[in-house]
Amino acid sequence: MVSLDLAQLSVREANTQLRTLGEAGEEVEILNPDARHHIGVGLTAPIKVSVQGSAGYFCAGLTDQAHFTVTHNVGWGVGDNMYSGSVVVGGNAGAIPGVAIRGAEIVIKGNMGSRAGQVMKAGTLCCMGNANFMAGYMMYGGRIIILGDSGERVGEDMSAGEIFIAGKIEDLGSDAMVTDIDQGELDEIYEFLDRYEIKAPGTLTKVVNAGGKLRYGTPERPMRSIPFNTFSGASGYWNPKVQEDIAIKSQSGRYRIRGYGGARPLPHLSDIGFRQDLSGVGQERDVVGKVQMATEIGGINGARPLKLSMPVMIAPMSYGALSRSAKYAVAMASAMSGIAENTGEGGMSDAQRDAAGQLIFQCLGGRLGWNIHDMRRADALEIYISQGAKPGLGGQLMAKKVTPELAKIRGIPAGIDLRSPSRHPDILGADDLVIKIEEFREATGYQVPVSVKLGAGRIRDDIKIASKDGFDFVELDGMQGSTGAGSAEVIDNVGIPTLPAIIEALEALEEIGAREKIQLVLMGGLRDGVDAVKALCLGADAVAFGTSVIIAGGCIACMQCHVGQCVTGIATQDPEHESRYRPETEANNIHRFLESVRWQIAAITHALGYDDVGKLNRDELVAFTPEAADMTGLPYEPLTAGADVPQAQVNP
Amino acid sequence: MSVYGLERIDVPVAPPGFVDDTGDPHYVAAPCQAACPVGTDAPSYIAYIWEKKYQQAFEAITATNPFSSICGRVCDAPCEPACRRQSSDGAVQIRNLKRFVMDKLGADAPLASFEVSRSESIGIVGAGPAGLTAAFDLCRSGFSVDIYEMTDHLGGMMVWGIPQFRLPAGTIAEDISRLERQCPGLTVHLNTALGTQVTLEELKARHDAVLLAIGAWWGKPMGVSGEDHSQVEDGVSFLRRINAGERPQMPETVVVVGGGDVAMDACRAALRLPGCKQVKVVYRRGPDEIPARQIELHHAQKEGIEFIYNVLQTGVVDTGDSLSLQCVRTEAGPVDEGGRRSAVVVEGSAFEISCGMVIAAVGQKGACNALDSAGMMDADRVHADFSTMRTADPKVFAAGDGAFGGSTIVMAMHQGQRVAYYIKAALDGIETPIPYRTPFRTRCVPVAQDLKWEQFALEEPVFHGIGEQPQAFPEIEDTYDEAAALREAARCYRCDAETGSTDYAVHHREDLFSMARTHPQDAAKHQAMLQRRLQPRDNPFPVQRTASLDDLVFLPANLSRLVIDPYREACRIDVGLGCGLNLAQPFLVSGLDEAPEEIRRATWQSLAESGAGYLGALAPEPGVHWLQVVAQEGACDPNAAGCIYPWREGLTAADCAPIKNKLSGFSVSDPCHIDAAVQCALDSGHQLMILDGTGGNGSLAAEISTPPRFDLLSLTVGALRKRKKEEALLLVYGGGVRSGTDAARLIALGASAVVYGVAAALAMGGQLGHGNIQWGSERSISERAKGLSSILKANAGEASMMARCTGKTRLHNLEPEDLRSVTLATSAMTGIPVPGHNVGRRHVQG
Repeated sequence: MVSLDLAQLSVREANTQLRTLGEAGEEVEILNPDARHHIGVGLTAPIKVSVQGSAGYFCAGLTDQAHFTVTHNVGWGVGDNMYSGSVVVGGNAGAIPGVAIRGAEIVIKGNMGSRAGQVMKAGTLCCMGNANFMAGYMMYGGRIIILGDSGERVGEDMSAGEIFIAGKIEDLGSDAMVTDIDQGELDEIYEFLDRYEIKAPGTLTKVVNAGGKLRYGTPERPMRSIPFNTFSGASGYWNPKVQEDIAIKSQSGRYRIRGYGGARPLPHLSDIGFRQDLSGVGQERDVVGKVQMATEIGGINGARPLKLSMPVMIAPMSYGALSRSAKYAVAMASAMSGIAENTGEGGMSDAQRDAAGQLIFQCLGGRLGWNIHDMRRADALEIYISQGAKPGLGGQLMAKKVTPELAKIRGIPAGIDLRSPSRHPDILGADDLVIKIEEFREATGYQVPVSVKLGAGRIRDDIKIASKDGFDFVELDGMQGSTGAGSAEVIDNVGIPTLPAIIEALEALEEIGAREKIQLVLMGGLRDGVDAVKALCLGADAVAFGTSVIIAGGCIACMQCHVGQCVTGIATQDPEHESRYRPETEANNIHRFLESVRWQIAAITHALGYDDVGKLNRDELVAFTPEAADMTGLPYEPLTAGADVPQAQVNP
Repeated sequence: MSVYGLERIDVPVAPPGFVDDTGDPHYVAAPCQAACPVGTDAPSYIAYIWEKKYQQAFEAITATNPFSSICGRVCDAPCEPACRRQSSDGAVQIRNLKRFVMDKLGADAPLASFEVSRSESIGIVGAGPAGLTAAFDLCRSGFSVDIYEMTDHLGGMMVWGIPQFRLPAGTIAEDISRLERQCPGLTVHLNTALGTQVTLEELKARHDAVLLAIGAWWGKPMGVSGEDHSQVEDGVSFLRRINAGERPQMPETVVVVGGGDVAMDACRAALRLPGCKQVKVVYRRGPDEIPARQIELHHAQKEGIEFIYNVLQTGVVDTGDSLSLQCVRTEAGPVDEGGRRSAVVVEGSAFEISCGMVIAAVGQKGACNALDSAGMMDADRVHADFSTMRTADPKVFAAGDGAFGGSTIVMAMHQGQRVAYYIKAALDGIETPIPYRTPFRTRCVPVAQDLKWEQFALEEPVFHGIGEQPQAFPEIEDTYDEAAALREAARCYRCDAETGSTDYAVHHREDLFSMARTHPQDAAKHQAMLQRRLQPRDNPFPVQRTASLDDLVFLPANLSRLVIDPYREACRIDVGLGCGLNLAQPFLVSGLDEAPEEIRRATWQSLAESGAGYLGALAPEPGVHWLQVVAQEGACDPNAAGCIYPWREGLTAADCAPIKNKLSGFSVSDPCHIDAAVQCALDSGHQLMILDGTGGNGSLAAEISTPPRFDLLSLTVGALRKRKKEEALLLVYGGGVRSGTDAARLIALGASAVVYGVAAALAMGGQLGHGNIQWGSERSISERAKGLSSILKANAGEASMMARCTGKTRLHNLEPEDLRSVTLATSAMTGIPVPGHNVGRRHVQG
């Protein structure tokens, strides 16, 4: 038995030692824990840890195989995302005990806080006392055993799994119902209780999902897209697109869903341009060799940075929205071009990990596919707060795409219309976020950069929080970003365009003197090296491409990503359709696209008179439209003589 | 034209007045169209087929192709390998779809004829696809054309080179007769060979320009010993005999040497002739290099023809009762100039193939003694410059296989069009015309709405092979039936069509595709692409564009506000307007006073269920919340929850006093009246104000025709704020409200509820027409009621989704600060700031 005394050691030091001791197969006791956060986070050895006292947030979080006992109480999120192993808490647990567990066993001898077992996938959470409100909130699997009473709305929006309650049920949550227990289940419960030396209760009530909300009711009448952009604006207020929307909604009674990015024109990087005449750009030989483009992202706080061969990365897109083959192709292409790929929401596959040179691993509120082992093999971690296409909404994957294979990697039931939660269980505000970032850093030994994905909204405020919370970089996504499925109205009407988004972000950082404290990756409707250079001139550290990469790899922009029968095999999980996709061929196409982007960045940078993309600056830019001038503060230079005269500024 | 070549990135300008070109510098031809040497608008005709608009499809097909019926059967269809679906589950069968239309309409669909309008005439030697296409284009330009053909038929190799099992005589006649009908200025001289019946000097004297389109009529020799044997024949001569009607007795085994289209036709023709039991094709390279079109190859294989690859003939020996084709084996060598692997002889690999006849299909050549002696031939071709289509003689032009080597029908047609362009330029006195490029036009046909388009497999036409009576040369395959044609047409990706994404519009997508197909070292293409990408777009918000609700976007909650889960967490949307009028949804419906009774009944049914209200003069059924529009005081119905007086100038508080226990208010549509109406309403103690953004007191016709003045809201809020009475009146906005998103915007701007007029009517099955709503009879009352309930429910969902995205759990907590305007015009109208530079420090106007 080894003792680690937290009166002497920091949690970081203790966790480092725990990992070594774990490898050596030692048993450890933690003395003077003083309710500190992150005790034991990131352990992946079959070690026994005994905490002599109370632990704070995320005790035993992001672990696998380890067995913990805590003699007194625990704070938020005990056993967060635990794979296998166990935690036995002698006293009470705060909110969200067993959040997102994927197989662990957690026993709370006292009472437990609200939202117990939120988004858990598998394993058992057992509480010998009472549970506060919304136990089993949005759980996807596993079982919760409550030997005391359960609070309000038990089983709220659970998708699967079972909740057994011995005491009184305050009330059932939305889409939850009581059902019969069979003897086999009871035997398993008794076996579990026996193992933890807990006295079996007299009777149990079983709560499960009622099946009312797993699938949309009336399916929306599918149709091939008709162009909105060609007849919006000048051509009639009640244009065919408006009529079509009304016709379809008057059948479904629901907002419309579609894939892809914004339909309508918005102010864009296209509306700004270069002050210098670039008509001779690229005539010189070997422009790529003449410009320094290598860029490091994520290292400013001491983590191992992503080393990009140019200031470009792949935007987050999930396996789920995209087929395995498409993700594989993108990963290969990113490696060929020496840039970083991003998992998006859907978890990490071995093929993707092996193919991508550098891979960012994204964490969303549903914690789908999130786990310690993939965190460890990621090159960067990313907390998704929102995305440009549908800020405020979580991921959406229609049942057609939720195949058994996909469901397995995400840890959810197959065949549901998946609407991922849009809020993290453990991030309700900026202060929670600080603790969450620290948990990730603990779990990965402070080696891996942690970023935040933000859909552009009140970016002036949000970016300040992001920088103060200590992220290494932010992926800022304007409303022109795309999605595999989302409410059409949200895609087109929520968020601000990419162009003003970066301006607000940069001005806000300047305001608090924090420009150097966070790096900024801009995305959302960027298409080529020209857009990339404009973004770099405005002040981005790097850019990310999503849709344009997919198009380079064969997407035909039919905007039916949500249907799940993608004709090209990109946005589908149907094996026949996926078999149409040739990952090696398309990886080459995507690679050539990225190289073309590289050439464009180099050629423009060189033509502007610089030998390093880091020297690009906003003095090179002008605005072509009054809107762009207003949004950026760049000088307004209309394209043609007699073009629009800027309107009197609305605001002084 | 290469689909991803430089010329598709750096698109050459089209000459002015170019026939069948969009003239739109931003138009990007779909890959199939770009790959077609005559620029056929394939996406449009395919879409027309799906719409069963066959006449329009026929027009699109024939616009640049006088041999559409022929091409429907035997075009080598370079469009199909270019088809983007090729790499998925097989190219759209563009040629077969053309055949389907031409079989329907090719024989007798009327087409305009070209009157002679010019005094000049052109003499054309050779009536093959190049010569006839040039004749067609020149006639279209108004010239008189005389065509001199040495055989007794028009059509050249289309007649003499392609056996009837692939191309029936009737199909050729269809195109020829259509061409003759369209070209009254065309005079045909059959059996008139150059040098025999007519000389070049005579033609030059007779005509203002002469075109030599003599074709590559003669087979090339194999260049091996023994090929002068009577049982060795060249492929084109053999086909010519067959196409003239001969059905010669064949030996049991025939060997065809060569791997091109002539070889394919010759081997398959031989197989059908009496006595022939076995046909072998020997080709000097491997199966990947064989130039024959894949479908011909597959058909030949299906018919039982044996292919022997990597074999080079070295001689022919007469063995008495049969022939022996002496051969050696080859293997793939280095890549040659054409990008194919060359064939290298394997030492010591000699062998022989025994057979009764050898057909040598190893290439064709042009020949003309008269031109040869005039020094106009370059070996076996007329000497000419492809960039001008001119020969050394300033009056003489050349085109087709006879000038530029053996090719395909569609390439010959391209050359015919090209040379016609240069001849016309010359006759117009233009010395250096803008270089020719293929014209590209689109007919902007909507995308086929067949939902199985992603799943339909490639439609193979029924294939018959050699058939029951091979010597009669029955057609090898059928035309699609209509159902098959529609399925195939639905498969088209429509690479030409906008799908509704501005940032990834067609021209952007095609650029990205091109970038993805540019070699990293290809600086010329990179440079051309970069110039293209640097072109700025037109300003989508020109000054003349008015303010629009669309320009107001919502600010989502992220880190600075608690994120609310719109999929799960509740959001209140109900609103109390006072005096007990509580709406479950903040919606009213109006404009249906004059609708047919069944519409009104559907409306009452739906509103009673959904808890929204009705705004109008007409009383709904009991159980429906009703805000009654009345002309004057005292007319208020006891069943109405409130009375709304349309504002008129001069109205005073005395004219319209509030009624006890009832809501009351004015309806205002003119921004100039707001101040007075607000004052009067406050003076008389009204609770409500209806803001009618399109005027006409809720008339649907006015709502359809008038741009909504949603600034009525900010003006009214301003008028109230000025009086420090912001909470004193509840505002209800109507006019141009389309969706739940619009409702959320208007509520954020200060409305308590919104009014649906046209949107409600459309949801109940009304159609826009004649500036009003037209009511059909196809829906039942309950269907209409369901339509209205559904749209209200959908809009409630949308509105609350917007609220939740901004972090609100009550719709009415939305405020102007939750919005940004993406245009200056809308910002100016509403006071909502534009995001970006200095946004946090600006004063928001009220």
